[in-house]
Amino acid sequence: MSRNRSIEDDFTRRMVLAASAGGVVWAGLVARLFQLQVLEREKYQAAAEDNHIKLALAPPQRGRILDRFGKPLASHRRAGRVSIVPEQTRDPAGTLAQVAALIDLPDERVERLAGEITASRRRNAGFVPVVVANELTYEDFARMNVHAAEIPGVQVEMALTRSYPRGRDFAHVLGYVARASQDDLERLSVGMEGDEAKRLEKLFRHPDMRTGRQGMERFAEEYLRGKPGFRKLVTNAHGRVIEEIPDDRFAPVPGKDLYITIDSDLQRATIERFGEESGAAVMIDIETGDVLAMVSTPAFDPNDFVNGISGTAYAELRDNPQSPLYPRAHGGVYPPGSTFKMVVATAALESGAVKPTDRVTCNGYYHFGNRTWHCWKKGGHGTMDMHNGIKHSCDVYFYDIARRTGVEAIAATARKFGFGEAWTLGMTGARGGLVPDPEWKQRAVGEPWYEGETLNFGIGQGQLGVTPLQLALMTARIASEGRSLKPHLVGLGPQSDEDGILDQPLDKDIINIMKSGMYGVTSEAGGTAYRSGDLGLGGPRIAGKSGTAQVRRITMAERDKGIRKGLNIERELRDHALFVAYAPADNPKYACAIVVEHGESGSGAAAPLARDILRFAIENDSGRKPAYGKTASVTPPGQGEPT
Amino acid sequence: MSRDGYTGFSRGEARTRTATSLSFETMGPLRRLAKLPWGFILLIIAMALTGVAMLYSSAYTNPAEHNLWYLQLTRFGISFVMMLLLAMMPLSWWRTLALPAYAFTVLLLVLVEVMGVTGGGAQRWLQIGPVAVQPSEFAKLATTMALAWYYDRVITPTSGRILIHLGAVGIMLIPAALIFKQPDFGTTLALIASAGVVIFLAGLSMRVILVGILAGIAAVPGIYFILADYQRERVDTFLAQLSGEATNALGESYQIEQGLIAIGGGGVNGKGFLQGIQSQQDYVPEQHTDFILTVIGEEFGFLGTTALLIGFAVILGWSFYSASQSHSWFGRLASAGAAATVAFYIVFNVGMVIGLLPVVGMPLPLISYGGTAMLTTMACFGLILSAHMHRDEKLSSTGII
Repeated sequence: MSRNRSIEDDFTRRMVLAASAGGVVWAGLVARLFQLQVLEREKYQAAAEDNHIKLALAPPQRGRILDRFGKPLASHRRAGRVSIVPEQTRDPAGTLAQVAALIDLPDERVERLAGEITASRRRNAGFVPVVVANELTYEDFARMNVHAAEIPGVQVEMALTRSYPRGRDFAHVLGYVARASQDDLERLSVGMEGDEAKRLEKLFRHPDMRTGRQGMERFAEEYLRGKPGFRKLVTNAHGRVIEEIPDDRFAPVPGKDLYITIDSDLQRATIERFGEESGAAVMIDIETGDVLAMVSTPAFDPNDFVNGISGTAYAELRDNPQSPLYPRAHGGVYPPGSTFKMVVATAALESGAVKPTDRVTCNGYYHFGNRTWHCWKKGGHGTMDMHNGIKHSCDVYFYDIARRTGVEAIAATARKFGFGEAWTLGMTGARGGLVPDPEWKQRAVGEPWYEGETLNFGIGQGQLGVTPLQLALMTARIASEGRSLKPHLVGLGPQSDEDGILDQPLDKDIINIMKSGMYGVTSEAGGTAYRSGDLGLGGPRIAGKSGTAQVRRITMAERDKGIRKGLNIERELRDHALFVAYAPADNPKYACAIVVEHGESGSGAAAPLARDILRFAIENDSGRKPAYGKTASVTPPGQGEPT
Repeated sequence: MSRDGYTGFSRGEARTRTATSLSFETMGPLRRLAKLPWGFILLIIAMALTGVAMLYSSAYTNPAEHNLWYLQLTRFGISFVMMLLLAMMPLSWWRTLALPAYAFTVLLLVLVEVMGVTGGGAQRWLQIGPVAVQPSEFAKLATTMALAWYYDRVITPTSGRILIHLGAVGIMLIPAALIFKQPDFGTTLALIASAGVVIFLAGLSMRVILVGILAGIAAVPGIYFILADYQRERVDTFLAQLSGEATNALGESYQIEQGLIAIGGGGVNGKGFLQGIQSQQDYVPEQHTDFILTVIGEEFGFLGTTALLIGFAVILGWSFYSASQSHSWFGRLASAGAAATVAFYIVFNVGMVIGLLPVVGMPLPLISYGGTAMLTTMACFGLILSAHMHRDEKLSSTGII
């Protein structure tokens, strides 16, 4: 029994021991919990906070672009958007079919979307909406809105999209915005540190972010962009947003509004006046240098580019024979033809080689070396002085004075008028054209300059290439009697620092001779554009100069046959019609340059157009004080209503 | 536990109450029910209902899991009835069943090896009709019962020799080896631990135990190399986490970290029922099964987790006390072994969740979602209760076998 007893006692002792060991282990667990939940609770609470509060990037609203009177040219539009939340639909194909029954969805898009939805589910990102259609029409939006509730997983919402209410009117001036490509990102992050570049890239990955790809949108990118903010979001472990905590400290700063100097009504009127013709027109306020109209037509609709343009639509634009993508006004290089004659005449007088009264007799042709140069008028103009030379646009007169003046002097004067320089004014695609001289020719062609080329130069043909914008600047310079002129397109906003200023001295007396010649063109009997001289405002006239730019050389055979003009040659081969003008002639305010492509005759096709838009500008006082002027009240940037 | 009026009796006095106890066998079922220690049983019910509430919370924001709490409640209800029936079963039946149950479990473990279903990287499940069972869970209880049966037969007042324990070690090692091969290191350890408690209580020499523990420690590096890859990664994760390094093998360091954030973030008072951010927003994987403690920790804080541990401590303490009151070796050892089984569930689970042990994949008894563990736990309690009700029986040692 004592043996038994000892086993019993041993058992009891061991039970107590085991229970004590258990007690120690329990105490250890409680101690650890005490450490976690009492001593270190703040650390873990902070970690929990970090865990579930996510700062989501909130893209800033891009600044608007307004015309000189505050009319929006680039703003925002609410666009209906349909998306599918993959995790909320059991049958993506069925859901898509239901949506496709309500709005127009091409089959291949449905197929691609089905793939996207499946992929997103597989990635466990089924809560991120997949965009089905972006730009719903009002009818589609209304219909979707009504039916969305019946289709599980379908979201219908409004998003702010960049919008160009003037459509094509400002395509080449404003350019457009697009989703940032890799190239865009590289361009935008030039000179940035690693972190900054990464932040920028992250910002532009946001589906609502766009960057200026072309034109003013690109030039003023940073000014328009604003600063991104953050949205404080409560998310679950999978990143699904549970709620949003409003916090003004993190709100994005909207971009600033940019004002440009253009009068959008004048712009519209000009484009309408072109009708089906292709061409360019630029009008400048000669006092302020404000560019009031900058037209290149036909154009594309920048709205098509905002959400990415389809390959076929782009190919259509690219292959269109009228080249709607081509920014003619500041990037189109044309031979100026006779509109260049004022430059030649100015050079001739400045160099002293020619006096205004020097006479040249025109018989319709001019012999030089072993070649014959023709005047546009068969049979000739007879005896010409400078005034008449300009007024009648006598080629022989200008062959003669050009030869006497020399290529260098003409080129130097041309540059003083702004030729040869690319005036970007904040746009993209600006070109400088070419003011040829012997040095250039030696360098570019490897041949010396032949004096015969100077003759061509004298009538604005040959290698010389100018843009309509440069012609408008030349005209403004003449109209203002040689005062210095700084053209600009940005009213309120960053100014383009690539552009020069036209302030090289021009002799006022010499310029007045040009003005008188241009007045003669439009307002004296026998002037080449006499018919277009009257503004139709009961008195004021325009002064101008026509030009015809040869698209190709005229062969001797054609000249003999008399086939030079008219409808019996292909449109693409017809000459460009040019006209430069200012008005009112006696007290100039506006200067403009017009190119009507393949318009044949400067005085016939371009001059009436110039007259009409000048009249529009005068009638509507396009150059009056802009909305952003110092005394005028300007809508603070970013507070304007999106339209 | 004092409601039965036994507390404070010396063993000699208790023995005189044999007649009363015998009369339990002759009572009607209702009277028998009434005789059960209802304080203990109510505590079990309270714990299980806490678990159901935590499941409700853990699945609150997840529509796919909305019915988990209900399923668990149903399971508990069934297990509870089973526990009551087991509680009223004569202890001799338990002893009689011990060996067949053990043999059956070993058979099941072999079947798992042969035709088991692989899940979570290991072959643990056996598909029987519509139910998937995890025989390794049952093995813990069956081994305990088999050991108790064994000692009940071999312990005599004169049998204090080491040799008799060899048989016990053999009984333990057969299922342990089969489970280790699945591989399920956690369950193997738990089984060896609870069996070890039984062997210890049965009087294995302290010196031998000490040597065994030392040998076990010495074998650790060796064991590490025979572990499956995922097990080794778990150990690596654990070690890395101890040294403050972040690894993400198997995503377990994430799981542990999120669990710690949930528990620590709960602070002293917790965030309130259904208010846990981590718990409600899916941050902790497996939070309805093995990581259910994180929900309690986050929503009820240190007070909640401590209350839970105290609740378990009371249940286990009473079980141990009750085991010590038993007059039969089978009753003592089976009851204590069952208590130890439940205790190791808790230690392994809590230790894992609060970062004291590697991830071993062990549920929290009564609280975690899961059927097999619920059944095993409630069967353990049934055994403990049965031993309690028949604590005065001396069980003739010339039993059936």
